[in-house]
Amino acid sequence: MNRPTVMDKVRLAAFVDGELTPEDAAAVVMHLANHPQDQAYVDDVIAANAALSQAYTSVMEEPVPDTMRHLIMGTTPATNVLPFRTKPVVRSAASLLGGLAVGAALAAGLVVAVFLPAVDPHDLKPGPMAADFPLIPVLTSLPSGAAQVLADGAEVMILATVPTPTGFCREIEVTHAEAGRLQAALVCTDGADWNVAVVLAENLADAADADGFGTASGDEAQSFAPFLDRINAGAVLSPQEEAEAITRGWTR
Amino acid sequence: MTDAFRRDLVTLVPKLRRFARSLVGNVQDADDLVQAACEKALRNAEQFRPGTRMDSWMYRIIQNLWLDERRRTRTQGTAIDPDEAYLSDEGKAARLPEDRMMLAQVTDAMESLSLGQREVLALVAIEGLSYTEAAEILDLPVGTVMSRLSRAREALLPKLGLSEGRRQ
Repeated sequence: MNRPTVMDKVRLAAFVDGELTPEDAAAVVMHLANHPQDQAYVDDVIAANAALSQAYTSVMEEPVPDTMRHLIMGTTPATNVLPFRTKPVVRSAASLLGGLAVGAALAAGLVVAVFLPAVDPHDLKPGPMAADFPLIPVLTSLPSGAAQVLADGAEVMILATVPTPTGFCREIEVTHAEAGRLQAALVCTDGADWNVAVVLAENLADAADADGFGTASGDEAQSFAPFLDRINAGAVLSPQEEAEAITRGWTR
Repeated sequence: MTDAFRRDLVTLVPKLRRFARSLVGNVQDADDLVQAACEKALRNAEQFRPGTRMDSWMYRIIQNLWLDERRRTRTQGTAIDPDEAYLSDEGKAARLPEDRMMLAQVTDAMESLSLGQREVLALVAIEGLSYTEAAEILDLPVGTVMSRLSRAREALLPKLGLSEGRRQ
């Protein structure tokens, strides 16, 4: 008598799915009190709904892919997609060794700056940022994925934020379009000061020579990985975690 | 087509990607499906009636495109009778470890369902639509949605280690 028929299961599922009127739902609640087998089925359906929802929830936190955004908005990739950055024309042994040296230095935790070619005096440099450095307001308030243009015309984009044992590090890209240069940097804070830990710089390819497009974030993330590993940085913060860090003023 | 239409569509993309992934199971194929749906929506923007739910309209476009794609690739894979699938799994689900709710298991379970069952489960259990809304999107009677949901759960619960299956 207490065993549910197929109709009963439909009704129980409708109860879980919120499809019953308040009166019918109340009747189901009363029924469940005396029918543990049906209560178990309701619990199973609730658990299954939760599992399904949880399994597919991560995509809700991902940013809208640029290709889709530009397709929908009818825009062309321009704000955060840069002309393809050409690699050295010839990957000579010297250049390969240079790359290895940078990787090794990063792995060893050394502060590294690779500049190609000459360094602009306004460029990022490894070391503490002055309190009035124009990037600081951006670092403290801008979420990952957002871009902001500074007074000097440079565009700053926050790529990601990772936690560290003493605070946070933010991966950023600074594009000096007029100078045709791109800087990628890892800037860290302990909640008080901001410190440029690593800087990498490249020339933007001449658009006339470009044969395609590459996203603004690319090899840099891989380049920073050894350093982040060495300082025991955690996984990239979710948008919610990052928003909380911003609200807390980057204190742990 | 207004800018508001475009902005609303961009805002919907995460939900559309979630729906597509629950149908397709493969991230790249799901994104391709969403992109194709967006292209179709943009081409047919005048068919969207302002004031109605854009998400329902887009779910329907995605579902139709997905079915079209499935029809084109029908020869691939082995057909599974979802009403019988759990029987062949008898005993196996009960031995699943405590972490049986992992993503891979859920997606595998979803992929074992029939197309119709997967659609109703995705719309109701994942997207949170009412039976009536799901029925409108799928162009089905509400009763059919309810029966498909019931059969979907009959097949799904054992695969999630949540039930011994048909309890009569």
